[in-house]
Amino acid sequence: MATAVGSAVRLDPSDDLRRGDTGWLRWRTGFDRWMGVLLPLLFGVAILPILDVVYYISAKAVPTLSWSVLTSYADYQAQDALGVPIVTTFLFMLAATAIAVALGLFGGIATAEFLPERAAGWVRMSANLLAGMPSVIVGYFGYFAFVIYFGWGLNFIAGVFTLAFFMTPYIFRTADLAFSSIPRPIREAAYGSGAKPVQYILRVGTPIAFPQILTGVFLAMAIGVGETAPIILTVQPGLLVPNTLFQPAVYMTYLIWTGFSQPANSVALTLAFQAAFLIIIAVLALNIVVRFVAARYRKRLEGLYQ
Amino acid sequence: MSSTPVPGVTGDREPLPSPSSSAARPRPPVGWRRRIWRLVPYVPALVPAAIVVAIAATLVVASGLHNFGLGFFGLAFNSNLNQFGMLVFIVGSFLTAVPALFLSMAIGLGIAIASTTYLPPFLAKIFDPFVDLLAGIPSVVYGIWAFLVIAPIFGNLLNPWAVAHLSFIPGFAGNSVSPTTAGVGLPISIFVLTLMSLPITTLLIRDALRSVPRDLWESGLALGATRWEVVRRVSLRHGSRGIWSAAFLGFGRAIGETVAVAMVIGSTDKLPTNVYDVTWTMSSFMFQTLDAAFGNSLYLAALAELALVLLVITLAVNLLGRRLVRHIYAEEVAGL
Repeated sequence: MATAVGSAVRLDPSDDLRRGDTGWLRWRTGFDRWMGVLLPLLFGVAILPILDVVYYISAKAVPTLSWSVLTSYADYQAQDALGVPIVTTFLFMLAATAIAVALGLFGGIATAEFLPERAAGWVRMSANLLAGMPSVIVGYFGYFAFVIYFGWGLNFIAGVFTLAFFMTPYIFRTADLAFSSIPRPIREAAYGSGAKPVQYILRVGTPIAFPQILTGVFLAMAIGVGETAPIILTVQPGLLVPNTLFQPAVYMTYLIWTGFSQPANSVALTLAFQAAFLIIIAVLALNIVVRFVAARYRKRLEGLYQ
Repeated sequence: MSSTPVPGVTGDREPLPSPSSSAARPRPPVGWRRRIWRLVPYVPALVPAAIVVAIAATLVVASGLHNFGLGFFGLAFNSNLNQFGMLVFIVGSFLTAVPALFLSMAIGLGIAIASTTYLPPFLAKIFDPFVDLLAGIPSVVYGIWAFLVIAPIFGNLLNPWAVAHLSFIPGFAGNSVSPTTAGVGLPISIFVLTLMSLPITTLLIRDALRSVPRDLWESGLALGATRWEVVRRVSLRHGSRGIWSAAFLGFGRAIGETVAVAMVIGSTDKLPTNVYDVTWTMSSFMFQTLDAAFGNSLYLAALAELALVLLVITLAVNLLGRRLVRHIYAEEVAGL
């Protein structure tokens, strides 16, 4: 940038203008206008890939998908059948979400309501650190702790607990955030009219914070359903829906990984695209629900102040 | 300050006695029952911390720490000879994560400035969620898309073009990659990592720019500065902490990314010889070789120790990034 002599930037153009020199001013405004055109184009860098991912996967998966594929419980390694992976993934999500809620929800509420500011800061930091943990490290933890040291083997339950630990911080954080953002006057009114902490949480706080906590659970599920490394490292793919906790089980994302590692195997590749399509649908649906609920929730919170 | 308070002038009012000052009104002694009850909320609140500690402890136990010494950070890797020099993977991680971070910070800054400064709010409201949705697509889906769609573009188009036209730059000459793995290697890994760290960097930079007080913005414009000049000289300075935090957290994302990178890095335990070459990163190496290590306790210990290295890096980066910003969770910004 052609800056003026003497100062870092010459903002006042009046001297130049008085001399009839509008070049510097025109350069500055022109630069600004060009930035206004070029910088929004960078949105394309983010939007084009996401559109292409969705388009490519849909174009590959939709023509091959049918109701009979989705409901066929046949051997998914031999033919195009998604019944077992879908049901097993549901079981994984159900169990892992339940454990993650049990581990994270109460902690979040306790942090928002009872912990002194300093302690709450440290606890939140620990939740942030856990959320920033690479998935492969959580997978290694699950492998060494659950599979080897606990002796659970490469079975369903090891994957469930690994996944649950991965999802816990997200639920913790939204529970904390939901209770922290309840307007102060409401809190004070509840305690002022003699509510005990437990009464406040159950009767006042939970009805207000519930939608946001629900979005946190959905968000954690969206993250969990797309996770690959923790599951592949801790569970052996099974051909059947597990009857007990100590059985091998297959996960949707495992099918995508198999399709990648056996590109010559047309069944595996078809299954990979179909699984990717279903996961994208699930994740997008969960995200849209989250946004919708969050927007309504914000309106409700604003209403509480009036 | 005058001793006679003037009604209506708030600055001259006598301060009210604070109910919380313990000097004025000593609190009644706290009984031991109550003290114990006060500790109860810490039990659930410390669950995430306990999980972090458990992860670290498990990896320490699994690695045994003493097995390798300095040879661990050497180049000699041969699992058959029980040589576990992990330098290749550490270097590979940084070679992919650092350029990806620079790219994603540059693009993130551009998007954030466009969204907060140049775009009309209704358009920003439409486009911003797309960037956040980028974070929603699972890593494995990115991986297979990049492997099947983007790798051919790199292999047939971009890499040959760079070889032909940029070979005067050291490292850009010669493509040692065989035709079968064409396109797989460093450039596409950097591309994937850029995409995957873009949501978090954009989110945090956007928030940093939004938190600039309106007064500052308007006084800049009133002085005759253009919008770009206000952003450059006021907003970016004011939000510098948030932008640094975006850099740290984005780096944490990039270096920890596993499955997508495993699909496009080429998975070779050699240092790259040029910028198109295949190599391996810590996370993708750990992910892909756990099966191979089964039964070899020394190999498993080496992998656990590598996990520990990655854990220390990500913890340090995340700690730094989170200390810098005022809001308690980055996701708070996304309105979730």
